[in-house]
Amino acid sequence: MKYKLIIGWLYPELMSTYGDRGNIITLQKRCEWRGIDFGIKRLDLGFKTQDLKKCDLLLMGGAQDKQQQMVSSDLMKKKDALGEMIENNIPGLYVCGAYQFLGKYYKEANGSKIAGLNIFDLYTENPGANYPRLIGNCISKVLNGEIIVGFENHGGRTYLGKQVEPFGKAIKGFGNNGTDKTEGAVYKNSFGTYLHGPILPKNPEFADLFIKLALQKKYNFSVNLSLLDDSLEKKARESILAKLKLQHNFIG
Amino acid sequence: MNKVLILIGKIVSIISKILNFGSGSTWPGHIALSLNKNFIKQVLKRNQFKIILIAGTNGKTTTGKLIQNILEKYGKKVFQNAAGANLLNGIASTLISNSNLQEKINKDFAIFEIDENTLPLILWEINNPDFIIILNLFRDQLDRYGEVNTISCKWHKALERLNGKTTLILNADDPQIAYLASNLKDVRVKYFGIDSGNSTSKIQHASDSTYCPNCGEKLIYNSVYFSHLGDWICKKCNFKHPEKTFTKSSFYPLSGLYNEYNTNAAFLLGKQVGVEGKTTNSALKEFKPAFGRQEALSINGKNVLIFLSKNPTSFNESLRTVSDLGGKNILLILNDRIPDGRDVSWIWDVDFENFPDQFKNIYISGDRAYDMALRLKYADLKNFITEDDLVNAMNIAIKRTEDNGTLHILPTYSAMLDIRKILTGKKIL
Repeated sequence: MKYKLIIGWLYPELMSTYGDRGNIITLQKRCEWRGIDFGIKRLDLGFKTQDLKKCDLLLMGGAQDKQQQMVSSDLMKKKDALGEMIENNIPGLYVCGAYQFLGKYYKEANGSKIAGLNIFDLYTENPGANYPRLIGNCISKVLNGEIIVGFENHGGRTYLGKQVEPFGKAIKGFGNNGTDKTEGAVYKNSFGTYLHGPILPKNPEFADLFIKLALQKKYNFSVNLSLLDDSLEKKARESILAKLKLQHNFIG
Repeated sequence: MNKVLILIGKIVSIISKILNFGSGSTWPGHIALSLNKNFIKQVLKRNQFKIILIAGTNGKTTTGKLIQNILEKYGKKVFQNAAGANLLNGIASTLISNSNLQEKINKDFAIFEIDENTLPLILWEINNPDFIIILNLFRDQLDRYGEVNTISCKWHKALERLNGKTTLILNADDPQIAYLASNLKDVRVKYFGIDSGNSTSKIQHASDSTYCPNCGEKLIYNSVYFSHLGDWICKKCNFKHPEKTFTKSSFYPLSGLYNEYNTNAAFLLGKQVGVEGKTTNSALKEFKPAFGRQEALSINGKNVLIFLSKNPTSFNESLRTVSDLGGKNILLILNDRIPDGRDVSWIWDVDFENFPDQFKNIYISGDRAYDMALRLKYADLKNFITEDDLVNAMNIAIKRTEDNGTLHILPTYSAMLDIRKILTGKKIL
């Protein structure tokens, strides 16, 4: 059976400032190398909700403040459709700005509140211009014990409510807010995270999880993915862990 | 007071050179500014030379050197800050090293390349420089500079303080830069760009300003040169590419479209000062590149060309230029130190996919060599060798380059400094 996945790339023009395109490329290649057809639907400003609904998994990245405002008003109009898909277990990866959007609100450095999509039970506050942005390499340990490596760069501090689980625990770096050590959030098959890097190339198991979830959702049975040679991925992970003086087995 | 600071600065500079603490290009100024925060302002007041500031993400050093050559050919005495010493302390240090002990600098022109974040600050010290050249604004080291819009807002505010003494020389092809001229009253503005014969049809992925900086509508491009540079117009508010734009230097000493911009900016500056085209032309013909910017070296009968590649746009343009030159051997060096930016995510915004078969031998090195290797793997490039030790990587790459062949090195900033040390210090083979 020939599988096919279509990824919906939300706002590739405006929300793709931090190399997040790498996440799309990674999913595409890891599908193609396994003979899974992979289509990319670019959903730019003014996209139609019926195009969104055709997608088997979703991805949205971070952006500059000004561009985030432009996206915000467009996304509000599609809030119901996106919310429905997330509730319906369509897998999605929402990085940085996109992650903040999914929450209840974002309080800007000047104190004004921007409403979020209210899909994830969380909120984000920027404590003001006198507080530093949270910037640096970030290593987080996720629920199954896997280590996620990435780079964070955010001014907002995110606080999780009870309806979402943290995606991981920051063992190096700041995570959601620099105090409770949580990093990211998981709700159904949707993952929010602050980690760039981009996150998927150096965390191939996490990338494959998306592919599996999407195939399972679409074809209604569990698909075994063939193994790929991830030796280069491993080396890239090990070199950053070594740089941060973290031994992989020590963390595990 | 300042005379003492200049004396101290000169001594510090001599000591740091003797003890090999580096070039001493920032410490003297750092000390002077911490003892007198008005040091720059006061020294400038006692001197008459004209001041040229150069800002922009890419091309500052090359443009500065081009202008220096042109003005010197014109018979002027010129001084300039050392490449990279482009914060306030670097400017102060440059004043110290060029001043005599009486606080006098016997020159006609100062050329200062200015860091993106420092431009607003320097305009408090130098109220109305004679010329400000703004080259472009691309995403670069987001962990350090913040986002493109943040910088352009800061610049806009700072430029509003200028009066009629200043001539602004702006890149008309970069909408965000052309927009800087709006709301300025007395300031003279001149524009440069490149010839539209260079256009491609497609907007590159790593473009930052394709929406109207005035009203937010999506810009229409009649032609695109690279990134978001091109002939653009906003159909909604009618903000458009400035009409009278200087695009044609008589000679281009360096390869690459990005160097056409640098050259045209320098040529236009020369015109404003009164330099004849003939003089500029012969200055351009004698031009030798700044270090690491298409600098050519020769090692064991092999040629080495260094293309500093520090952000998505400069990397894309380096790849395109090497490819246009028919280059077959490339060494990519990715570091993640402070001058490079700590976040290496940006390599995923570089279009390696555009060069599937161009490069026969690809070598990868640097602190984050394996991140670069992964990027190439996912671009379906296969013929690369990864060696994180830079000296080893250099040795392998040089050895495998054919006699009289050329190895093209694309390093990030700190990697460029490392590679030069290895090559010129003969720490090789």
